Amino acid sequence: MTTDPNYPWQTVFDKLKTWARVNSPWAIHFNSGSCNGCDIEILATLTPRYDIERFGVKLQGSPRHADVLICTGPVTRQARERLLRTYEQMPEPKFVVAVGSCAISGGVFQGCYNVVGHIDEVLPVNAYIPGCPPRPEAIIDGVVKLLESIKGK
Amino acid sequence: MTTESLLQQAESLLATMSRGSTRPETNRLDVVIESSGLVPAVSALKNARWGYLTALTGLDLGVEAGVVEALYHFCSDAAVTTLRVRLPRIGGSVPSIYQLIPAVGFYERELAEMYGVTVTGMPDDSRLFLPDDWPVGVYPLLKDFDPQSAQPVKVPPPPRGSSTGERFIIPIGPQHPALKEPGHFEFTVDGEIVTAARMRLGYVHRGIEKAVEQRNWIQSLYLLERVCGICSHTHSVAYCLGVEQLAQVEVPPRAQAIRELIAGLERIHSHLLWLGVAAHEAGFDTLFMYSWRDRETVMDLLETVSGNRVNYSANILGGVKIDITAEFAEAIRRGIDYLEERSRHYLDIVTTDTMFLQRTRGIGAMTREQAEHFGVLGPLARASGILRDVRVEAPYGAYTRFPISAVTAQAGDLEARFVVRLKELFVTCNAIRTILDNLPPGELAVKVPRRIPAGETISRVEAPRGELFYFIRSTGGDKPDRVKVRTPSLCNWTSVLHQAIGCQLADVPLLLAGMDPCFSCNDR
Ligand code: SF4
Repeated sequence: MTTDPNYPWQTVFDKLKTWARVNSPWAIHFNSGSCNGCDIEILATLTPRYDIERFGVKLQGSPRHADVLICTGPVTRQARERLLRTYEQMPEPKFVVAVGSCAISGGVFQGCYNVVGHIDEVLPVNAYIPGCPPRPEAIIDGVVKLLESIKGK
Repeated sequence: MTTESLLQQAESLLATMSRGSTRPETNRLDVVIESSGLVPAVSALKNARWGYLTALTGLDLGVEAGVVEALYHFCSDAAVTTLRVRLPRIGGSVPSIYQLIPAVGFYERELAEMYGVTVTGMPDDSRLFLPDDWPVGVYPLLKDFDPQSAQPVKVPPPPRGSSTGERFIIPIGPQHPALKEPGHFEFTVDGEIVTAARMRLGYVHRGIEKAVEQRNWIQSLYLLERVCGICSHTHSVAYCLGVEQLAQVEVPPRAQAIRELIAGLERIHSHLLWLGVAAHEAGFDTLFMYSWRDRETVMDLLETVSGNRVNYSANILGGVKIDITAEFAEAIRRGIDYLEERSRHYLDIVTTDTMFLQRTRGIGAMTREQAEHFGVLGPLARASGILRDVRVEAPYGAYTRFPISAVTAQAGDLEARFVVRLKELFVTCNAIRTILDNLPPGELAVKVPRRIPAGETISRVEAPRGELFYFIRSTGGDKPDRVKVRTPSLCNWTSVLHQAIGCQLADVPLLLAGMDPCFSCNDR
């Protein structure tokens, strides 16, 4: 599709795309060194009690189909390359959510020899969800806030 | 046999190889052997069917001492025999005992990469936990390790799956829809049949064992709780038990009972979580959703008593910091009743649903002999008819007062693993009720000194996935000198990778899930 700003239909197309994206963002989850606590809570948001799918969010297997990368854990040396590769495979525009204290700051694992740092030292992060681990409600809140912020764009 | 007679038996079996033995604790025997005596010593224990190898700990005694020790821990019920091989700090070497005990493969690779000990005759000496770009000759668990020396080195890009003739290698992971956590597998297939399996760990290796040495005894508790977000309580119990043993403090009975109670709730949440994930791998998403819906009941209970859903921080050194009030007890009773009823329903489903049984019955069957040979632990062992459960074999904490009966099955296939875990839920529910009815009164905690007296101890507890092993060494300071964590998943991989050979590739995800692996546990 053309992206010429002077093309008369362009703004309409852009609006349509944003509308679709906000209503049904597909997410992919990558654990780059987490203790599992955050991952399990993310999985819990998909299940009947929390049911994040009612916001149109769907957890996807392939990065090539995903709009949002949900990251958990500090970044370990072995996982760094894979995290970057996963991010690079996602189509533009893409958003990153860092879930948990570890993803935000390294948490308890700061200074471990195999930890290179937190997520935003490796990738640009759009939303941070604090907690060790954050409750499923907090994760949903974070995702909804992210969607709100995309709306304006 | 009593613990004492087991230890005497071990001592006489090892008499010819022994270069001195000690009895550091009533249930432990330490035998110093030369590295040339390792194979005969292990054969002697194995031929006499004396227990099983539970862990291999590396220990650096410091630059001045110039000694690295390799400790091979064998357990038989509550008795623990440790073979101590003393090696020079640089250039030490031990023979591989893989031919005798296949489960040692992963432990030997760990010893080699963490301590620089050469293990001669290892079938696979590739990296296990350390990253690909880790420089050669830098060993993180040595006391004089300098993080600056571990700067990344350039590595050739990893092979991307290859083929030789008709055989294909299928790489899976680290990012893959069938894996909730990162791990990397390579399955060689001939058509649809798996002919070889390899795995690479280390994507979630953080270096916790080293980090513990830089934190004090109390900080380490919170760090170790975060080895695993599923069985966090079990890890902190194992650590607390060890430290309390070293400090020689007696934990009040009420605290012990509360520890067991929370461990029970944790087991329920872990087994229901597993049921959902395993059902999902079998394509049975309805069961996944139902079991996770019900799991929320136990999550609510955990949150009610501890204020947190995942890392409950219930333990402190010397006791617990949360109490079970009458109101909590009532809530727990109600929740347990509901969960028990639901578990019956699930047991009914997994043993009668024809579609589901086609994915589980007779798949991945492991006989008792195989299970013993591979040294499997936990529900996997019990599904093959081996009664291997620390709570029964070597009761600790409140399990002496509130004993538990182990659930076993004979078939050893995937169905048996579902049945064992679900029946364990009933046992756990009953245990929780008994504890609530007989909760001992009294204090919640006793004081533990900031500096822990010098010594070494071993603590073993039963995690939802099997025996969790901690080796703790103190030199009398305010920080641990060494904490070794050996988690059940690491033991069980060997058997599952062997079982995958000869299976249909399509059965592999369920086979892996059937073991209930936890990568963050085994990577640490
Ligand atoms: S934030 Fe807490 S729960 Fe999440 S990965 Fe880190 S330690 Fe685990």
